[in-house]
Amino acid sequence: MADPVAMERPDVLSAVGQETLRRLLRTWFDFERRLARVPLIRRLDLDQFTVEDYRKLLLNLRPQVVEGSRWITRCASSFDRDFADVRSVIIGHAQDEHRDYEILETDYVNCGGKREDILKQPRNPGSEALHGFLMYRASQKNPVDLLGAMWIVEGLGNKMATEWAAKIEQSTRDYKDCTTFLRYHGENDEEHMDKLYGLIDRICVDEAAADSIIRTAEVTGRLYAMQLEEIEND
Amino acid sequence: MNAYINSTGAFLPGPPISNDDMEDHLGLVDGKPSRLRKRILKANGIETRHYAIDKDHKTLYSAADMGVAAARQCLDSSSLSTQQVKMLSCATTQGDMVIPGFGSMIQAGLEIPEVELHTTHGVCSCSTMAIKAAVNNIRVGDQPNALVVVSELASRLFKNTRYEAAGGSKAVNFDAEFLRWMLSDGAGAILLENKPRGRSVRIDWIRSFSHADAYPVCMGIGRPTDKEDERTWQDFSTYGEAEANGALLIRQDIRLLENIVKLGVDGTLRLIQEGLLDTDKLDHLLCHYSSHHFKSRIYDMLKMAGSEIVEDKWFSNLYTRGNTGSASILIMLDEFLKSGRGKVGETMVLMVPESGRFNVSYIHATLVEE
Repeated sequence: MADPVAMERPDVLSAVGQETLRRLLRTWFDFERRLARVPLIRRLDLDQFTVEDYRKLLLNLRPQVVEGSRWITRCASSFDRDFADVRSVIIGHAQDEHRDYEILETDYVNCGGKREDILKQPRNPGSEALHGFLMYRASQKNPVDLLGAMWIVEGLGNKMATEWAAKIEQSTRDYKDCTTFLRYHGENDEEHMDKLYGLIDRICVDEAAADSIIRTAEVTGRLYAMQLEEIEND
Repeated sequence: MNAYINSTGAFLPGPPISNDDMEDHLGLVDGKPSRLRKRILKANGIETRHYAIDKDHKTLYSAADMGVAAARQCLDSSSLSTQQVKMLSCATTQGDMVIPGFGSMIQAGLEIPEVELHTTHGVCSCSTMAIKAAVNNIRVGDQPNALVVVSELASRLFKNTRYEAAGGSKAVNFDAEFLRWMLSDGAGAILLENKPRGRSVRIDWIRSFSHADAYPVCMGIGRPTDKEDERTWQDFSTYGEAEANGALLIRQDIRLLENIVKLGVDGTLRLIQEGLLDTDKLDHLLCHYSSHHFKSRIYDMLKMAGSEIVEDKWFSNLYTRGNTGSASILIMLDEFLKSGRGKVGETMVLMVPESGRFNVSYIHATLVEE
């Protein structure tokens, strides 16, 4: 069986690729500020985060993680022959992450949660909106704009591993092995970035593609923040 | 109408103090050497700094004294007399008096009659706020000139007795000690006028972006050691009680500090997008960074995004003059201009990323000759 196409890191991005990366960076920083304003996340910044907060976070992340493989695989299947290489990269990505929700469930149990609770947890209104939006975009022909969604979701994975995990471990000292999901996304970070740079180079061929990528990154960021806000709106 | 910097001045009190002499100067907390000093100094890279207090903790120069000295040096090399100064715009994080405004003390020290007075308050970026008010006053034509004076006297906060009063070495954590090995004293001044004289620096634009809505306080004085206690210093019955509870210690939340790098990059990218800044055409970057360098990942991204500012465009005197808070950017500009590194026609950005509660400011300027 052949491995997925490997996206190589380009030496230099094209002018439109560079412009898009600058816009993506700004979209990311804006997303980070949106996250920082969410009361649950602010408690992380203020060292007031508790194990109950963590359980709530995992409980509400699981529906999105378990559905994550759906929009990624749908996205892959929506690329036609002209984007066969992109499709292959995305299939590889889906393969890497399609069972992440199992790690998350085990973390939940390891920090004192009940498995049956996390299995039956429905999507919160924010997850509903995020999932709906991503599935809709993934169903369009050649959904290059979803690179923007991957930028946000991958970036958040890295943020969880490099910033959140250590703080959460402070508040879950009484429990063992409960931040594996958060930590795991920090692995192979270089490789993920190279893949993203490669995709930008491949996909960002004109202004229209760049605009759609940025738009989808912005919407994904807002809906993701909404998903976190909704954790405490039950 | 444009505003031009026609003269600069700086004042650093006493001789340079080396890393090894710092603790002797500031005093041993509970008679014991700090366990964090070397680590913090290694991270910030500062080698020498100046203190306005002596080893017996007697104040040799007040914040106002230093500001006046910098202003005198600035005016001495200008073609204006003190009496001709029409606007005085001052900034400090912490003056000598809590009330009145710092500018009043500088005006009295310089004996400028009937001046239009302005004082800004904040942390590092209050210097930029003072400059912007001065520049705008000249631009709208209200005044032909403005003297900006910024002074910081941080060392008084770092006396061993302050920490001992707040519980001593047991009560002092990393966040409370961090700035003790970082901040020091000094003042800077610039004279702005509505026309250039000889070699001048034309101010092109000044912009700033504050993010206090998104992030908690990162550096400040006023909150007690106990994070659960929501009182601020004046809520205690006595100042003695406030001090005993650590509410008068200056603290930096190290983990939040990382955000300042990202916000600095964000502001820079925004200015590029707005067409105000072209990093390829920029000749000099004077950046008041406290110690943390760009994280490699972000630096790498900026490079990929074609917005890298190459190393040889950076200028800083942090390592030899210390981190003097809001005064730093003016002390840096003074040394830069006097060093002759800048050539007529070249452009520069003065960047002040402030971690107090995250405000990033930028001044774009061009070296001109009349």
